Amino acid sequence: MTRQLPFPLLPTRGGRSSIPAKAGVGLRFRHHREVLESRPAAAWFEVHTENYMGGGTTLATLDAIRRDYPLSLHGTGLSLGSAEGLDRAHLARVRGAVDRFEPGLVSEHLSFSVAAGNYLADLLPLPLTEEALNVVCRNVAEVQDLLRRPILVENPSSYLEFRHSTIPEWEFLALVARRTGCGILCDVNNIYVSSCNHGWQPSAYLAALPPAAIGEIHLAGHSIRQIDAMRRIRIDDHGSRVAPEVWSLYAEALARFGLVPTLIEWDTDVPPMAVLLEEAAHAAALIDEVAIGNGRALAA
Amino acid sequence: MATAAPSLLELQRAMRASLVARDRGLYAHVVERDIDAGERLGIYRNTFVSSLTRALGLSYPAVHLLVGAEFFEGAARIFIEAHPPTSACLDDYGEGWPGFLSGLESAASLAYLPDVARLEWSVNRALHASDAAPLDPRRLEVLGESERAQACFVPHPSLSHLRADYPADLLWRAVLEEDDAALAKLDPGPDPVWLRVQRLPAGVEVHRMTEPEWRFGAALCTGRPLAAALDDAQGFDASALLADYLVSGRFTDFFLAQSI
Repeated sequence: MTRQLPFPLLPTRGGRSSIPAKAGVGLRFRHHREVLESRPAAAWFEVHTENYMGGGTTLATLDAIRRDYPLSLHGTGLSLGSAEGLDRAHLARVRGAVDRFEPGLVSEHLSFSVAAGNYLADLLPLPLTEEALNVVCRNVAEVQDLLRRPILVENPSSYLEFRHSTIPEWEFLALVARRTGCGILCDVNNIYVSSCNHGWQPSAYLAALPPAAIGEIHLAGHSIRQIDAMRRIRIDDHGSRVAPEVWSLYAEALARFGLVPTLIEWDTDVPPMAVLLEEAAHAAALIDEVAIGNGRALAA
Repeated sequence: MATAAPSLLELQRAMRASLVARDRGLYAHVVERDIDAGERLGIYRNTFVSSLTRALGLSYPAVHLLVGAEFFEGAARIFIEAHPPTSACLDDYGEGWPGFLSGLESAASLAYLPDVARLEWSVNRALHASDAAPLDPRRLEVLGESERAQACFVPHPSLSHLRADYPADLLWRAVLEEDDAALAKLDPGPDPVWLRVQRLPAGVEVHRMTEPEWRFGAALCTGRPLAAALDDAQGFDASALLADYLVSGRFTDFFLAQSI
């Protein structure tokens, strides 16, 4: 099975490399020097867009890394769900980063993080209503118009649901993709975390997503917060290895979506690059199994 | 309890009030099941406070070391609630922190703390400011003398001039280098310093100047026309300092002041 994305992955300018359907690694500051000096065998890197605005050494370092690796820009500050509309100044900064680094992929979240002019420093859950759907679609369209390219929108982890939500998250995401032409960044860990927290069925979530829209998969570790002897909630803290249950769900996702660029994210207590590469190798082995299966199917 | 569903805008403002001011207005709209709304929203509030505290700590590492983690986190929580960020670019967050510290009674015994914080903000701005090509000095040479007299310079975005009542540069350096011997020798009493901060290819430079030099440099960077700045300059070689500013890339452009 080869996959057709709903948009070309090759960047429109400069002929820079697209993101391969391999396992990449989230690049954090502590690994900058190591990546420059030893060129680890990562298939591609993804960085947080907001960490590369302005100027100076940090951006120059990413320029240098970009020359040797495919790069994806993953934003956390656009607040695609804001009823007040997008912060134009921030959108201009995102565009500046996209113009400078010519990433293979640009992504953001199905959430909001700005209200009444304040940035609230988290990916906050939306009420999943027709009103919110219209707002998200309007904002995604504005971003794509300005960047002159489609973006990927990621499902967040969440710790609460709103009483007046009427649309399941998986349907909401599929509708955003259908209406705006954006792709979906399927965070398998987030599906697992939210499913445990809200009593959803993770396999059913995957089954409801349109395979052709899946442009990237995220994998990360999460933790379990024990509220008391009986009650617990899963927290998406990106501070450990990918959980066994999430690897199983990832295998399901690959079987359903085909070969998709996959990223290992780790943001809390970031470990040595070798640990991230081990996690990426695990994902790569599962991708290879799907590729071999596809090859056999073609040969038969 | 039946509560009318809020609009998206109302809900998002209620979420802001919940995170920033621990307002309970949103509780009625949250599905509780076996975990109550306060507990669920508390997870988001923790992330809000801890992310912004971490951002402040990255911009103000010397202040963090001077006051210790517990004091820093307590003060940060009060600051964050009073001054939540207005931009998603957290490198820009915390400009008001030095002023906040100067009004904080519990930090009053560390009179030099706001000066160290102001220096750290200048260093933070220097680290993250936009890149800009330096002014080519030959562009000044082609001007006639009367035009050159009216030249007003545009400073490099990473450049700032800072006056401090306390030796903030020595304190800052000794704290970050964990140089206990230097710290022990420092007299943290009032002793004004005039500093220039700029990002250079090798890193951020914090340079101590004499007061007249500083006044000249600061005047050029705030749009004082060249001839007027030179007229004001006394007691040092202003032409040499101007040349230094030009060859060191401290200006990116100039414009001509309207002749009066």
